[in-house]
Amino acid sequence: MTVTWQNLADGLLLGSVYALMAVGIGLVFGVLRLVNFAYGQLVMAGAFALALASEWGWPAWAGIVLCFAVVLALSAAMEWVVFRPLRGHSPAVMLVATFAVAFLLQSIALLWFGSLGKIATSLTFLGRFWTIGGVDIRKIAIVAVIVAGVCLLLLSLLLERTEIGLHMRAASMDFSTARMLGVRANRVISFAVLISGALAAVVAVMLTVQTPLVTPDFALRDTIVVLAGVVVGGLNRPIPATLGGFAIGFASGVLGGALPTAQSQYLPTFVFVAVILVLLVRPRGLFDFSRTVERV
Amino acid sequence: MRRYHLDEVIGPVVLVVAAALLGTLVSISTQTYFTDTLVKVAIVVALYVFIGNSGVLSFGHISFVALGAWTAGVLTVPPSEKPAIMPNLAGFLQHRHVDNVESLLLAALVGGIAAFLVGIPLMRLSGLAAGIATFAVLEISHNLLQYQERIGPGLNAFSSVPETTGLRQAAIGAVVCIVVAFLYARSRFGRLLRATREDDAAARAVGASVYRQRLIAFTVSGFLAGLGGGLYVHLLPVQVNSVYLDLTFITLAMLVVGGATSLFGAVVGALAVSALDSWLSVAENGTSLFGWHIDLPAGTAEIVVGVLMAAVLILRPSGLTGGRELRLRGVSWRAFASRAQA
Amino acid sequence: MNLVVENLDVRYGGVHAVRGLSLTVEPGEIVGLIGPNGAGKSSTLHAIMGLAPATGSVRLGDRELLGLRPEDVARSGVALVPEGRRIFAELTVEENVRLGFAGRRARGGADLEPVYDLFPIVREFRSRQAGALSGGQQQQLAIARALVAEPDVLLLDEPSLGLAPSVVDVVFEALAAIKERGYAVLLVEQRAQRTVAAADRSHVLANGDLQLTLGPQDAGDTEKLVAAYLS
Repeated sequence: MTVTWQNLADGLLLGSVYALMAVGIGLVFGVLRLVNFAYGQLVMAGAFALALASEWGWPAWAGIVLCFAVVLALSAAMEWVVFRPLRGHSPAVMLVATFAVAFLLQSIALLWFGSLGKIATSLTFLGRFWTIGGVDIRKIAIVAVIVAGVCLLLLSLLLERTEIGLHMRAASMDFSTARMLGVRANRVISFAVLISGALAAVVAVMLTVQTPLVTPDFALRDTIVVLAGVVVGGLNRPIPATLGGFAIGFASGVLGGALPTAQSQYLPTFVFVAVILVLLVRPRGLFDFSRTVERV
Repeated sequence: MRRYHLDEVIGPVVLVVAAALLGTLVSISTQTYFTDTLVKVAIVVALYVFIGNSGVLSFGHISFVALGAWTAGVLTVPPSEKPAIMPNLAGFLQHRHVDNVESLLLAALVGGIAAFLVGIPLMRLSGLAAGIATFAVLEISHNLLQYQERIGPGLNAFSSVPETTGLRQAAIGAVVCIVVAFLYARSRFGRLLRATREDDAAARAVGASVYRQRLIAFTVSGFLAGLGGGLYVHLLPVQVNSVYLDLTFITLAMLVVGGATSLFGAVVGALAVSALDSWLSVAENGTSLFGWHIDLPAGTAEIVVGVLMAAVLILRPSGLTGGRELRLRGVSWRAFASRAQA
Repeated sequence: MNLVVENLDVRYGGVHAVRGLSLTVEPGEIVGLIGPNGAGKSSTLHAIMGLAPATGSVRLGDRELLGLRPEDVARSGVALVPEGRRIFAELTVEENVRLGFAGRRARGGADLEPVYDLFPIVREFRSRQAGALSGGQQQQLAIARALVAEPDVLLLDEPSLGLAPSVVDVVFEALAAIKERGYAVLLVEQRAQRTVAAADRSHVLANGDLQLTLGPQDAGDTEKLVAAYLS
């Protein structure tokens, strides 16, 4: 197996994308204790928005605005219709419910766009290559890392330095005590959902550059892999979760390209066996070194 | 003294037999929907045996359905056809051939053994971890079956399997699953497991081993799921993606809509949702209802079922039956007695 | 503003935790709520805070609190120092205090000096992780956190639980100072004698019912106390 610079760049791109998705999923889990299986569908909706915008001949920036609008509206709808009524139910019910929503949205997409999908072309200029030191690296790989880094930096500033960020952190540690102190539950949850949605929109933009063809199962597999990464990294804490997402993205990206086909076919098996092993041996996650133990 | 509430099994069996009889009255092409429904009943009952009694979610049971399908399929494709669909089949499988009933038994056996092996590590997990781990099992089996051509057709469909699952076979299979599920649920094992579902600590205090009971239930349900897979492969050409996420979703939906914690719920859910889904599928090809012509766009069926499942979860999480079994005698005698006293 | 509880009934499923309890707390007084375990003392505080299902009436001044969400009760001017402190171990002491601001009604900058005067350790250990503090220090932090919300009513659920006697002294001294500042304090405690001595009035709760009301003069009368507890 030989690892080329191209493989590494692919790994960086996928790692950055998965890291952002991991944060998006982790934020909502933190405040709602709900794993949103339908998160990938938010990304898909954003990607379809971009595809439609490019089909209608809109300029790139307008497509991005549409993407954000659609994703944020859909997140808000999910929160209102599904998350709120289910608050307080058992984790099993919530899991099945988001699974149902994921399936529902995928079916709607299939109905609307057909299984062949659409193509989002407006940002393809980022798909072109820079030549650095004699090696071709896709611009998007670099841009992805930078964008992900900036997003994560802004988010950590938000969480550490602002009042709402403090409230969100407290809510994810002990929601009922936070409420007792006056932290507004609905506001914190809506904010988490909003940020989570914004991240999904960013991911949609980045993924469409990598894969301009948008199909209805766009991002369903990615959600599952990201979830695997988050669980392996550490579901209960934000940093381990993000690292887990990045790690699995990076590994998938590099190995997916570097392994010969005969072996790369079985990559999902290796990934999911690893997930099961981590769940059995170190349920808190590989990167979680905190002392507080939470039930998963 | 153990009391078997026989009325709990009569209801589901009657429903299944009624559905089968109804199926004999319709055209041959419509009959396939009925047969498919009955096979789904078998699978959903298998799900109930584990999920309903333990309260632990499993996304991975369709793996056992797939393994059952593969087993029965590989062993019943006529040897002359094998090289065509499964050119890379392992040596000892190329020449083996069994008859219909044997294939079903072997399918169940393989399902049960696989469930047992998978359950040994996994039954220690609960809640979210169990959900994710069982999902991983589904992904692993899908990945392996998709590319391993030594044990099956890989990406191809099982096209030459003898189509022995008609209404009768499917109905018998469903009834077998119901009876086994009933016997399990009424047994000491079933009751111990349900005790752990209600109150983990209390059950442990009286000596119930949560792990052991879950493993037993998981194995039994794997057995039944394997049987379901065997029935399925004899019904239509099974392909690796038809025993994957779609089937997982719809069978879970059936269980949830019917009422996850009861056998009656599993059967009602399977029949109701399947009827709806079948009717919608027919409507997608153009049909008439009370004189109106209806032609739904393709994919409507999944959307309606998805909305239904989400709605039930949000509005009535215990399902259509409220998760309760159908008790015939208890209700009527009590009502009768109180009226007699008044 | 005073706190008026009228006919409070708290039920958890089949358990009737509090039966028709009525009491009043005026500004500048400490009202004690004592009694054996399971008497319904904590349930009373939880019900006032909107954390437990209840019927009856709980009024702050002329505002009805029963039925409000916990965060809205907090924002109306009631602060609870919960049993076991429930501070956020992974946040710093300062962040814990800042969380208390969530219940504040006043706009504008908060003056932390009065709170720091009462509990100097809160200023001293500002940047430490709250989980690193001792039990007594955490209790002081919990009370400080409640006070920065500038509530009208302060509810305390067994603040002396698990604390060494010298630390208990600190807590009760602080309570006296808090009372001086005009807060209405409802104190739930297991340490009957100290509570009866410190409070203007102490209600004995057993089996959800108010059995007896004692004044500070009864603090030395062990017979009366024991009889009340065992009834």
